Amino acid sequence: MEGIRSGAVSAHHNYMISGMLRPGFLVGDPGSAKGFYLLADFLLPGENTPRISGRFFDERGDMLLELTWNRLMLDPADCLYRPTPYGFHLSKSSGEIILETTTRRFPNGYITSFSGRLYDEKGVLKLDQEGSSARLVGNDSIMLTAPYQGCFGKEKKNA
Amino acid sequence: MLKRNRYMDRGTCLVWVFGDYADYFQNRVTLQLIAKGKALASELGTRVGVVVLGEDIGQYVMEYVAHGADVIYAADNNALKDYDVELFTAVAASWVEIFRPEIFLAGATAFGRELFPRIAKRLRTGLSADCVALEIDRETGAFVQTTPAFGGDLLADVVTPVMRPQMATVHPGIFRELPHDPFALAELIHPPLPNLPERKIEVVRRRKEKARRASLTDAGVVIVGGKGVGSRANFDKLFQLAELLGGEVGATRPAVNAGWAGEERLLGQTGKSVRPRLLITIGTSGALQYTAGIRGSETVIAVNRDHSAPIFGLADLGIVGDADRILSLLIEELNRRL
Repeated sequence: MEGIRSGAVSAHHNYMISGMLRPGFLVGDPGSAKGFYLLADFLLPGENTPRISGRFFDERGDMLLELTWNRLMLDPADCLYRPTPYGFHLSKSSGEIILETTTRRFPNGYITSFSGRLYDEKGVLKLDQEGSSARLVGNDSIMLTAPYQGCFGKEKKNA
Repeated sequence: MLKRNRYMDRGTCLVWVFGDYADYFQNRVTLQLIAKGKALASELGTRVGVVVLGEDIGQYVMEYVAHGADVIYAADNNALKDYDVELFTAVAASWVEIFRPEIFLAGATAFGRELFPRIAKRLRTGLSADCVALEIDRETGAFVQTTPAFGGDLLADVVTPVMRPQMATVHPGIFRELPHDPFALAELIHPPLPNLPERKIEVVRRRKEKARRASLTDAGVVIVGGKGVGSRANFDKLFQLAELLGGEVGATRPAVNAGWAGEERLLGQTGKSVRPRLLITIGTSGALQYTAGIRGSETVIAVNRDHSAPIFGLADLGIVGDADRILSLLIEELNRRL
């Protein structure tokens, strides 16, 4: 029988992505100097704010921004980062939403969901909107069951 | 004869629990069964899995992981938004046929009592209802399900030697849940949904029953009255005592039949099971039908006029005396001290 999807789930915090809970995930390589990546980091008990990092592009492959652990580090396209009561949203200067995160708090845990559309440096769709949530396009994501220990592109270059 | 399939080897999770999250945080039976399932799974060298059906079920999935589930089998689907016995039966039965668990447990709640017989029928296997104990026989390896029989006069040990899974519903309060572990991780599996039958029931609206006081099954202190309490007026003193101790009141079948307490307070094989830190049982003889529901209590104090009453065999502290007099003294003393 085909169609069985499997992964891991945390008792503390998970991301709802592609219709499944995941404790953390990574698409692309944060260590690359220029390429697309999206890192939704694994949270340990005691942490209640999801850590999102990524280098995002528009549908033409032009770089929009680079975010490292919820902080806008590079912003060549004059994008806007705005915290919300439940997460944050990133929008283009035109106001068009790039990515929005929403974290729901339950008595004993948290679930973060996404909405928006993300493209890589070739303009290929990597994260798509599906109804009220988002799904990853392609099968190149890695699930994280521990906090990300790797480096980011800039750090790698400086190392 | 069951045919092997590749998921039987992959899914080394042979003890399953059905996730009954209705009225969650009051209804803890699924957590209790996960703990028991984990112990059974350990004896069988396997893992415990929880089946969770519905829509927007993430928080329940995470709770089950925190309380010991090794594997979650989940369907988060709008078609399963409202409980429908035919749909849930179809999904659970189809997943059993894929993964072939050895044991499948559910709480003996209104939900479990409706759903599990249908799943068992669909799978042509046995079901032991309202179990009060579950064990693996160390000599034979059989899964022994202890359940009241013949109207509750006997406890019967039931085994399902051939058909699988071995299914049982279990009274809430029989087993103790594991502590919440926020560091826990589990495997999450989304099996495919079968072709779902057409929904025949539409949920128009939901109304919650008026909130009662603390649940009897979760109370840390329980005061139980039996026929020996003597009268309705004396029975009302149990409520005073419970109030002073921050507890709840339970009743035996004769006390319920006498109209001193409602059916929702009934303890024992045909009622609820409790595991309080302190249980004071007053005017109860200690009949098996009743004691099956209190056997997990940490400390039991028994009050009875008859020094040979079987209840004293179960009690940590026994007081031979008149129920009315002892109750009055207890209330007076507590009023003085508190």
